[in-house]
Amino acid sequence: MGIWDHVIAGVLAVFQSDPVLGVPLTILMVLGGFLLGITVGATPGLAGPMAMAISLPILISIFGFSNDALLPVLGFLIGIMKGATVGGAVPAILFNTPGTPDAYMTTLDGYPLAQKGEARKALRVAHFASASGDTFSDIVLVVCAPFLAIMVESYLDLPEKTALLILSLAFIASVIGGSVGKGIISMGLGLLAAMVATGEDFYPRLTMGQPSLSEGIPIAAAILGVLILGEVFKALEDIYLDDRSAKAQTGVNVQESKVEFLELRKLFPYIGRSAVIGTCIGALPGIGSTLAATLGYTTAKRRYAIKKSASDPEFGEGAPEGIAATEAANSSVSGANLIPVLSLGIPGNAAAVFLILAMDSIGGFNPGPSVFRLDGGIGDGALNPEMVMAFGLFTTMFVANGFNWTIGGIFMRVVGVMARIPKARLLPIVLLLTLTAIYVQETSMVAVWITIFCGFLGYIMRRVGMSPLPFVIAFILGGNLEATARQAFAATGADPFFLFNSPIALVFILLAIGVVIYSLRSTAR
Amino acid sequence: MKPGHSADIWLALFFLGFALILIFVWIPLDTGTGLVEKVRRKFVIGDALAPTVAAVAIALGAALGLLRPANGRALTRANVIWCACLLGLFTVSLVLMRYAGPLAAAWTESGYRPLRASLPWKYIGFLLGGTVMIGGLTGLTTRRLSLKDFAIGFAATLLIALAYDLPFDDLILPPNGDL
Repeated sequence: MGIWDHVIAGVLAVFQSDPVLGVPLTILMVLGGFLLGITVGATPGLAGPMAMAISLPILISIFGFSNDALLPVLGFLIGIMKGATVGGAVPAILFNTPGTPDAYMTTLDGYPLAQKGEARKALRVAHFASASGDTFSDIVLVVCAPFLAIMVESYLDLPEKTALLILSLAFIASVIGGSVGKGIISMGLGLLAAMVATGEDFYPRLTMGQPSLSEGIPIAAAILGVLILGEVFKALEDIYLDDRSAKAQTGVNVQESKVEFLELRKLFPYIGRSAVIGTCIGALPGIGSTLAATLGYTTAKRRYAIKKSASDPEFGEGAPEGIAATEAANSSVSGANLIPVLSLGIPGNAAAVFLILAMDSIGGFNPGPSVFRLDGGIGDGALNPEMVMAFGLFTTMFVANGFNWTIGGIFMRVVGVMARIPKARLLPIVLLLTLTAIYVQETSMVAVWITIFCGFLGYIMRRVGMSPLPFVIAFILGGNLEATARQAFAATGADPFFLFNSPIALVFILLAIGVVIYSLRSTAR
Repeated sequence: MKPGHSADIWLALFFLGFALILIFVWIPLDTGTGLVEKVRRKFVIGDALAPTVAAVAIALGAALGLLRPANGRALTRANVIWCACLLGLFTVSLVLMRYAGPLAAAWTESGYRPLRASLPWKYIGFLLGGTVMIGGLTGLTTRRLSLKDFAIGFAATLLIALAYDLPFDDLILPPNGDL
């Protein structure tokens, strides 16, 4: 079976899934996730990963752990991921409050434009740029991920794969946050947490004899605790310290103001540049959409200063080009960040972490280079079910883009009301929802307490300026790193220098050291 | 030393100490095998190696923090008090969640366990604990306890309970899986 057979099978898996009310189930799930994502993105204090975290146990309860569950569940999560990016612009424009961190730069021009009575125009520009950037990024994903995976599978053996994992962790620890040292500490803590009660010996290591830890730290408890609860604790304390933000937001109304095609055409160069910037940044694990938005905005600002006419507003005073550049950049991260997930099995951001968590929980799909093997099927000439699933996943992304282009803009204008919900009321409900989601998955109060403990860890990390993302990514990759290193050590005849004997592995290790040194020098500057 | 650097240096010293305790005390005492083991005349990686690598990474990060301290933020007294308040609230609400049902069923002949899947018993702990958690947390955040917040907490907890319990037979609300 060739690559096109897999592509067609993947597309059919989406469009021929069991129909509900005459519509294929997976398509319905993508739509549901997309609408939920816009709503969540439009609600300050909530974020796409929170909705993904809470939805996952419910989705698993509905669809179970079979292979048929993968596409509907992942389709829903991808819908949330894409919808939240678009939705984040709504409160940024209407209320001067970014719905998601990466929409902060959108406030700079979106809110001034809305104050001029052109909120509808600002929303349309944001939607057009966001949908364009997202679509571009998905196309790059579909083209790049399989080739990268095939290259990795062809050229990298066990020592090289171990070195690549070390390079990825070093890169993530160095580039996230403002301090390389804290990034590495966060990564080390994540690796340590992943080692609790795992290993090959009968004795569950690092459990201090506690029976409650003898099955290890539940992956959902660690991830939801550090990423979601930690953020909720911090956001609630921020409200506690500054009572004004607890109150409902007041904003501008969405008046009628049309956007002509010529006006949109003027934005194309800005959208194009930002889409390329966002896609490149998204493809690198660990660098988030906030940096993409900032870079997209500053690059556009430089071009705008040269190209603008005297009557055009400055950046920061309601220039549509500023909104377009920011939204195209942050949206184009969402597709590209699946490149390391699908080709290497390495999550690059919080949304990708939850996609991997879903794949890991349901089973039947192990993201990584083996996904795109043509000989991965059972028997000669059989389809590789994982590759079919990957192309099904790509299809759900394009379906989500289709929804974004057609109904995304209309729905964005409807959900502006979400920003009026006070965070002080909303976040405690999110917290209980998260703890309940953990309990129904683990059926143990110990897991709830572990989640709360991880929540405090995530809170403290944020307060001392240590990013929790290296912790989470190292926690996910820790088991894989140890297993690959064990196999590589055994396969090389217990060679203690197995990471340095192969030229490719050596290059990866040198790059890992290089990225740490480079990041140290740049933060010092 | 620039202002703000001392927080990072203390943090780095804490993690350096933690890493040293890990390497020299915790890992040797709490792992079944060493760094490398000989199994059937072949050397294999032991269970202690990966945690040691993690500890070395923590020590390395701490050393970099000592050499290049950033303008770090320290935990303030207010942060510690906030954590203590949260911990207290979680303890109260989770204890209520855990024991309210069995306490309410204490006067029945059978006790809580046979009743834990039936109405209204299965909701008692979750509703009480959830209401206290949401209402208390909202009150703590806004610095005033109000009946309205507890009413919202009750409504939200009830909705969550129904959302999980009504459509799915196999999902168990807290704390019924432990009892």
